[in-house]
Amino acid sequence: MLILIAEDDELILRTVEHKLVKEGHDVVLTRNGREAIEKINELDLDLVVTDIMMPFASGIEILSAIKSIGKKIPVIVLSSMGQEEVVVDAFDLGASDFMVKPFSPNELILRIKRLTNK
Amino acid sequence: MHHHIQLHELILAIVIVLILVLLLIITVLAYSFYSYRILHNRQSWRQIIEYKIMETIVGSDDSDDRDREFAEHLKEPSFRALFLDVLVDSDRKFSGGAKQSINRLFHDFKLEDEAWRKLRHRRAYLVAGGVQELAAMNVEQAIPEITDKLNDPRTAVYQEAQYAIVTFKGYEGLGFLEHFDRPLSDWQQLRLLYSIHDIPESSDLHVDTWIKSTNDTVVVFTLRLIRKFRLMTFYTEVFHLLNHSSTKVRVQAIRTLQAIENSTTIQQFMSIFGQQPIEVQNEILKAMKVAKSRECERFLKDQLWNHTAVSIKISAAEVLVVLGEEQYLRDISQNEDTYDELIQIIKHALQEKKC
Repeated sequence: MLILIAEDDELILRTVEHKLVKEGHDVVLTRNGREAIEKINELDLDLVVTDIMMPFASGIEILSAIKSIGKKIPVIVLSSMGQEEVVVDAFDLGASDFMVKPFSPNELILRIKRLTNK
Repeated sequence: MHHHIQLHELILAIVIVLILVLLLIITVLAYSFYSYRILHNRQSWRQIIEYKIMETIVGSDDSDDRDREFAEHLKEPSFRALFLDVLVDSDRKFSGGAKQSINRLFHDFKLEDEAWRKLRHRRAYLVAGGVQELAAMNVEQAIPEITDKLNDPRTAVYQEAQYAIVTFKGYEGLGFLEHFDRPLSDWQQLRLLYSIHDIPESSDLHVDTWIKSTNDTVVVFTLRLIRKFRLMTFYTEVFHLLNHSSTKVRVQAIRTLQAIENSTTIQQFMSIFGQQPIEVQNEILKAMKVAKSRECERFLKDQLWNHTAVSIKISAAEVLVVLGEEQYLRDISQNEDTYDELIQIIKHALQEKKC
């Protein structure tokens, strides 16, 4: 399964990457929203994990991009405390699930499994 | 008597100036190189540290070479300081097993000693750093010393101590509020609120004592707490705060009443409206906009026609739009007897709706 992670925090990015690789997934890493949107257009992704606040384009813009190109990709949004209203917007734009930081990488893996029925 | 400067004196002076300029250039270059080295080291060290943390969280196979390199770096005091910083920072990113792994690193590499040293330092920023690190790494033995810091006169220290105690004890850590007489900043209030996840039923702490505090910022914090946990039983106490001397407290009281509202809230807002300053009146109108209650329709029309403040007229028109009274507003805006200012206000409100 091909999973895109969009996250500007290097530690979170690398930790989630290693967890997913350990689970047998292929992973694409992006460190800003614009790069993530490019990859979403180019690749046939099975799932996206995205942070809300990122340079160049936010998680909300990534969700809008997915919606506008008509791809049906499950998206898990990582948000920080105090971003509740943005999370509501994210669900309106088709987000499948969200997690609030600080988050447990193990729980993220469980949620990915649940979303992809793997 | 004039003394003529000899050629050799002039040359000597120029040479001295040139030597001084050269020395200055060398000093600046040396300092820049030193700063660059520090920056470069910090960046590469950060990568090494983050890799170590990631490895520990994920549970990768250990590499002996990398471990040896890491152990070598640990002998450097500035590396240990950065390691501690990155660990505390990482602790805010992860929860569950990952957080426990980060805590384990802290103890395994004996970084606790560094944090204790900072806690007992004289400089405020170091003490605050020590408090933050010991709390983030859940060192419960530090609670008594951190509790003492709650009364420290230095803002950075007592703020960090408050946050640490609430991190350790949750709601029970708010005991300091009872005698706290300094301002509790908005940022600090939010940090404390986010750290409290529940209010134990058996708690000895009483919200009703904080709500009567002579410290306005403690009252505002208590109102936010009531709002967060929807503490309906404090409705009457909150309502009484609408007579408080501070407008800021009154505004927060309106927001809190809105959050714990009952069937009489809107009626009560209308009855006290006239005795409130403009800021509070605007807050009441915002609450009415959210409540969308038809029982305030006549009241709003009255404010639109008769209130002296333009901001209140605008807010009243906006709430009427939300209540579906667009036609009423259009009719009066087209009436020849309506004065210009009111027509502009109504047009603004109707335009807002379109946006």
